[in-house]
Amino acid sequence: MGGGGTAVVSGEPGPKATGEAALTGRSPGQLMWTRFKRDRTGVISAYVVGFFFLIGLLAPLISKVYGKNPYTVYADERPDLFDSAGVPVHPNGGISGQFWFGLEPGNGYDVFTKLIYGIRTSLMISVAVTVAVVVTGILLGVAAGYLGGKTDYFIGRVIDFLLAFPAQLFFIASMPVVVSLFVSPRDETPTYVRVLALIIVQWFLGWMGLGRILRGTALALREREFIEAAKVSGASPWRIIRKEILPNIVTPLLVQSTYLLPNFVTAEAGLSYLGVGIVEPTPDWGQMFSKASTELVMQNDITYMFFPGISMIVFVVAFNLLGDSVRDAFDPKTAR
Amino acid sequence: MLTGCSKGGSDAGDNKKQDEQNAQRQQASIKFGDAADSTGPAAAVPGAKNGGSMEVLERDSYAHLDPGQVYVFTEMTVAQLLDRGLTGYKATSNDGKQHEVVGDLATDSGTTTDGGKTWKYTLKDGIKFADGTPITSKDVRQTVERLFAPFINQGPTYLQQWLANTSGTGYRKLLPDGPYKGKHLPDSVLSTPDDKTIVFHFKTPHPDLPYTLAMAGYSIVSAKGDTKEKYDKHPVTTGPYKIQSFKSGKSMVLVKNPNWDAKTDTIRHQYVDRFNITFNQQFEASTKALLADSGADQAGISFSNSVDAGNLSQVLRDPKLKSRVVSGYQPYVGQMNINMSKPEMKDIRVRQAIAYALPVTPFVRAYGGTDAMQVAGGLIGPTVSGYDPSFDPYGKLKKPAGDPAKAHALLKAAGKLNMKLTFGYINTQEGQQYSTAMAAGLKKAGFDVQRQEIPSETFYDQVSKLNNPYDIFHTSWGADWPSASTVMPPLYDGRQIANGASNYSQVNDPHVNSEIDRINTITDPVKSAAEWEKLDKYLLTKVVNEVPTAYYKSTQIAGSKVGGLVYDDVIGGVDPRRLYIK
Repeated sequence: MGGGGTAVVSGEPGPKATGEAALTGRSPGQLMWTRFKRDRTGVISAYVVGFFFLIGLLAPLISKVYGKNPYTVYADERPDLFDSAGVPVHPNGGISGQFWFGLEPGNGYDVFTKLIYGIRTSLMISVAVTVAVVVTGILLGVAAGYLGGKTDYFIGRVIDFLLAFPAQLFFIASMPVVVSLFVSPRDETPTYVRVLALIIVQWFLGWMGLGRILRGTALALREREFIEAAKVSGASPWRIIRKEILPNIVTPLLVQSTYLLPNFVTAEAGLSYLGVGIVEPTPDWGQMFSKASTELVMQNDITYMFFPGISMIVFVVAFNLLGDSVRDAFDPKTAR
Repeated sequence: MLTGCSKGGSDAGDNKKQDEQNAQRQQASIKFGDAADSTGPAAAVPGAKNGGSMEVLERDSYAHLDPGQVYVFTEMTVAQLLDRGLTGYKATSNDGKQHEVVGDLATDSGTTTDGGKTWKYTLKDGIKFADGTPITSKDVRQTVERLFAPFINQGPTYLQQWLANTSGTGYRKLLPDGPYKGKHLPDSVLSTPDDKTIVFHFKTPHPDLPYTLAMAGYSIVSAKGDTKEKYDKHPVTTGPYKIQSFKSGKSMVLVKNPNWDAKTDTIRHQYVDRFNITFNQQFEASTKALLADSGADQAGISFSNSVDAGNLSQVLRDPKLKSRVVSGYQPYVGQMNINMSKPEMKDIRVRQAIAYALPVTPFVRAYGGTDAMQVAGGLIGPTVSGYDPSFDPYGKLKKPAGDPAKAHALLKAAGKLNMKLTFGYINTQEGQQYSTAMAAGLKKAGFDVQRQEIPSETFYDQVSKLNNPYDIFHTSWGADWPSASTVMPPLYDGRQIANGASNYSQVNDPHVNSEIDRINTITDPVKSAAEWEKLDKYLLTKVVNEVPTAYYKSTQIAGSKVGGLVYDDVIGGVDPRRLYIK
């Protein structure tokens, strides 16, 4: 989704070219940074995104200070706060000074800690998928672009093949299979297995877009003079990829990954929503949506839906705006 | 932004009075009616009018219409309109709470002179099938004999087992091909001396026969019109309504049966001209349609759909809906089975720890609260004679969320703190919800709970395997008639442990086994009910192989023009036989 076509190679071959007498030299990174700081939307989005990551990172600390955890079944611990169907008795989903975001209808988990832990789970998984996808994309994309020939052909066909897969259907069908590969029949499926399975499944069908873009970039770079020069001076292909090509693909890489990450967040939420991702009692953003869509919540406690809903909208919008700003900063020539 | 979005749930702690009424109702056991009780017509429903057509919204299409194949709740409900048996339940009050077993096609509920070994029935005069042929003892013989044919494999098997004097599926050897190859049951088993008389001969006493014959699965089939397998789609019916058209999975139309004579029937009415049944209506859909109460749905109802859990508390709290909503008990009792075949479960203190620790509130919550489930004490539910509302072996009525402290002490005494406990749960939305909260409760008592999901389609196959890996798992069981003789023997008779059998906890206790044999021979229903309840108490206090969780309830809703709306305790839902259109 979104953000394709940014694979334009920036004009500067490297910092060496800018060394004129009186002017202070600025690296492309510094240029990008000054341009980004001028973009107010980008800066605000960056703060919002940073805030979410901070919450995710500090979730255990926050809940310790707050004095609750997302696993306590308050419907059994504090039966006075619920009716027998598990709907909070107090209005607005039982929001109070004690339970800031109210209580979840059903088993009565604390919504505040559930949300911050859910954000933690979802972001952890998505960051892991993004890292895996970026590494795979670099390895295969650059290899295909730089080496060309049979390697390019082979990787290209693999990418075509994987792109033809219906991703969502594949996720749903393969998640239980991947999970069952790891688990002994007497034990409960540990959460890390589900997390691992989610990462593997999303990574497997997530790297192709980035791989293609990087292949194109590497293909264009291969013909440039400074690469020719390196070749003539006898550098090995590994050195050329590492020292000459990699620094030049940072731009599309950064831009692409800021678009990819929110996509993985929503995809992970989607899987948990459909019941094949993270399951109760492990807190998860998507699973909160799934709870919110039940008739019990719809009919009795609409308030509950606001917390996962609004937080996710804010997160995805902010992250996408951040992605736009990063692209603009790196590449001011792109017409909008 | 977040204010005024939703109001809080309702506080439901007002069930005490209701419970007491239920208890009173169950004090009176269902009696067997005599000839006077069995003579038609049925007492008129107050205010009833003739005519009109009623819309019926159903989730499940009827897979079987052959009476011999009917054993599913939805099919048994529609069979109330279509089929008649030798006996039946007559509602003796207008609220569906009091019943007696009377003769339906027979003149009385059956006579026995030797304590239940020989039962004699006489057919009424003027009874006919929907095609106009009179019903004779030949048809009754055909009905019984065809139950032994291989293609009849879905219905109840009590009568067949009693006639063959065996348990399990061995009864089929008595008449392997049914009546279709010229062989018949000998007079020493089933005799029909003339057109009106039927005599059943059993080797052992079976005082429950009048209940058994009242099951829809033993309704009468036409000997002349018996088309074997095809009868399942085109039965020759006997009740006040007949099938005009049936498109499986889509719709069914029932119209009046002109050959049904009200004078011969003391149980049913024929007020409505036709029933238009539509299938594939999910619980949420039928609830919403009937709540909206517009157009044809004003005369709409559902025989077997309940109000869905999400809408339940709203429907019950709305005073405007009071006249359109009925609730009552279903015959099911939920129970957490403790797998007695596991070596880890041999220590009674471990089993007691499970029983005390297990919170039952999660189960009640998952299905919609106390409106849908009532916290259970014993294994015999309120729809069965002998129910004791004060019996509470593990203190669940006082502490439905469990007693972790007591359980912890028991587990510590047994030296099994932090023992692994594999909990197999059904992988439905409700199952996931209650199993996580139950696991949290058991963990507090010191168990290392390992939850294992089991697909809902194969759940009962998995847990009834002898070597299944689960230490605890939840099942439910419904009585076939209001006697614990349809509960205790199938669930707790140790000699019936087998792959696929219903003794889920695999309990094999010599005292329980001998008590089952002894109580089965008691002919006085009141006395046997008391004895079954004693056995219930023995199981839960001395054996501890089950933790009862909840007695199932159901709430149903109808359109504003539906009259005669009553929740019938025996049917376990709306009584379709007395409905009319206002």
